[in-house]
Amino acid sequence: MTTSTLLAQALVNGLIIGLLYLLMAVGFTLVFGVMRIVNFAHGEFYMLGAFAAYILVSQYELPFIAAVALAFLFAVAVGWVVEEVVLKPFRHDELNGMIATIGLAMILQAGALILYGPDSQFMPAVADGAITLGAVVLPMSRLYVVGFSLAVLLALYVFLGHTRTGRALRAVVQDTEIAAAQGIRTRIMYPLGFGIGVGLAAVAGALMAPLFSVSPFVGATPLLKAFVVVILGGLGSIPGAALASILLGLAESVTSTFMSNSIAEILIFVLVMAMLIVRPTGLFGRSEA
Amino acid sequence: MKSICTALIPAALLLATPTHAQETLKIGAVVTLSGAGAAWGQALLYGAELAADDVNAKGGLEVAGKRYKVQLVPYDDKYQSGDAVTATNRLMSDDGVKYIIGPMGSAPALAVQPVTEPGKVIIMTLGFTAKALSPEKPYSFRPNLTTEETSYPSIVWLVKHFKLKKVGALFPNDESGQQIARDLEQAYAKAGSSMSSKEFFERQRVDMVPLLTRMMAAGIDAIELDGNSPATAGMIVKQARELGFKGPIVRNGGPATPEIVAVAGKAATEGMMVSSLTDPDNKAVAEYAQRYQKKYNKKMNGFSPAFYDGTHMLFKAMQDAGTVTDSEKVRNSLEAIKDYPGIQGTLNWGGKAKYGINHQIESPFFISEVKDGAEVVRARCNVEQCVDVK
Repeated sequence: MTTSTLLAQALVNGLIIGLLYLLMAVGFTLVFGVMRIVNFAHGEFYMLGAFAAYILVSQYELPFIAAVALAFLFAVAVGWVVEEVVLKPFRHDELNGMIATIGLAMILQAGALILYGPDSQFMPAVADGAITLGAVVLPMSRLYVVGFSLAVLLALYVFLGHTRTGRALRAVVQDTEIAAAQGIRTRIMYPLGFGIGVGLAAVAGALMAPLFSVSPFVGATPLLKAFVVVILGGLGSIPGAALASILLGLAESVTSTFMSNSIAEILIFVLVMAMLIVRPTGLFGRSEA
Repeated sequence: MKSICTALIPAALLLATPTHAQETLKIGAVVTLSGAGAAWGQALLYGAELAADDVNAKGGLEVAGKRYKVQLVPYDDKYQSGDAVTATNRLMSDDGVKYIIGPMGSAPALAVQPVTEPGKVIIMTLGFTAKALSPEKPYSFRPNLTTEETSYPSIVWLVKHFKLKKVGALFPNDESGQQIARDLEQAYAKAGSSMSSKEFFERQRVDMVPLLTRMMAAGIDAIELDGNSPATAGMIVKQARELGFKGPIVRNGGPATPEIVAVAGKAATEGMMVSSLTDPDNKAVAEYAQRYQKKYNKKMNGFSPAFYDGTHMLFKAMQDAGTVTDSEKVRNSLEAIKDYPGIQGTLNWGGKAKYGINHQIESPFFISEVKDGAEVVRARCNVEQCVDVK
């Protein structure tokens, strides 16, 4: 393999994984935008989505698309209830709200552990084979997932930019009080924003389940990636999250292909620290307390 | 069935040895019964229990004219050294045992030896660490093979069979992963090949694609999976095949084929070569697996036959020594057992060259090819070499 094809392969791998990170980070940043709560339970909703897809596909033999859709709806419903019941008192109390989400994460993880045990479960790949472009290999199973991921992001874009509810949600993200003054019912927007945010995490989980594994502990790594993405992109900024996800995927892939995996892991956090020092608000973050 | 047996035993004893009442022989078990290592802990305990069932069904273990009902006393060490030491102290002082099955883990094994060795308590440990056996530890035995015994002969065979020049491997980036990487690197070099690319990854990593891309770019002939958990190994196989890797995939180390096939699928695992401890054609082991399944309602773990045989060897040693209380005599008889006909095949003690003492079992093992998700034996091995199955 020549250096140029290796580079092309590394870039393609990075782009694919970056798109998967994006799905995770976009929900995380949306929840922060609406709630001003750093949702530590975001990874557990990823895990819920992965379990939902696994159970629906392997036990109820639903088609994968239906399983992803149901996982999303399930997570939105759970998220809605959680917001109404648990997080409502913490709407203007960021620190305690954050602690509440840590507790929520533990409850969800322990619940999954009781129900399904600690062992990893596996579901069959969505598609077999690979496409080769020149010497660059694109595994079908990943392309399929990337296709879904793009479709979901497009739907989110249309929803936020071109529907009434979506625009209302964005108004709440930008300024809750002014939005309320304009007649937007923030009472509904809070649980809706949270529900959609964690629903996106569940979609990410459902889409990744056939690529990786399903266990009560799968949420930790994606949550960490979401953190890195929102720090780089700016907490609360969706375009920032998009750019940062792709950059993170590419940086990880290229450094671990050309240098080593340990250097890639170090480099990511060096980047995060540099960003925090030079530009604490991230690429597109708003500077406000 | 069991109640009939226990009802019949006293009657049978009355006829055989009318002057002696039956006594109980307690054997301790320090094994992990909860958490990550539970499947292996059960393999040890159940192996010992089934061996005890054998002798109890015959009216007890006959030693020097007396019959003893064998009773297992298990403690869960939770894979923790501290818990293992507590359990061992209880077994030795409260239960008064002289024989312990386990400890299962390496660290717990090393932790209990300062107590068991001076107390002359014989332990049968699974612990893979080389330090578990030494001339200073005359009461410690290991009835199972470790990668130390199996990997070199397997690697020699694999290198010859596939004409391997450059082998790539991925390992978890921690102490055990780096140790296995060093061992394998030496073994491949000694076998006339080389482990030309090795990659380390953090344990929680699930996306191996960048690392595999890098290894494939380096032009490897084969991928070695040793050192990875069954689930991770499956993930590596799946992702390597998705990236279009066509070369052989091999695995030394513990039994993991069903898990790898479950993760990667039958197509991706076709032709994979694995070292295995059990021969699917071995009727005795197959029957044992059925007994295990019937009694415990669990699939037999690959380590269990070794502990079934090991417990029987311990019983034989007591009979040969003519005592159940003098563990020094039992130890000498256990050491002296030669060509023991176990369910795994002919068993002997060896390991002097590696550990300085012949307390390591030497049993047959196999290299199997995965065909349609199941293992088919391709070579039969002993600790010296592997020979093709004709």
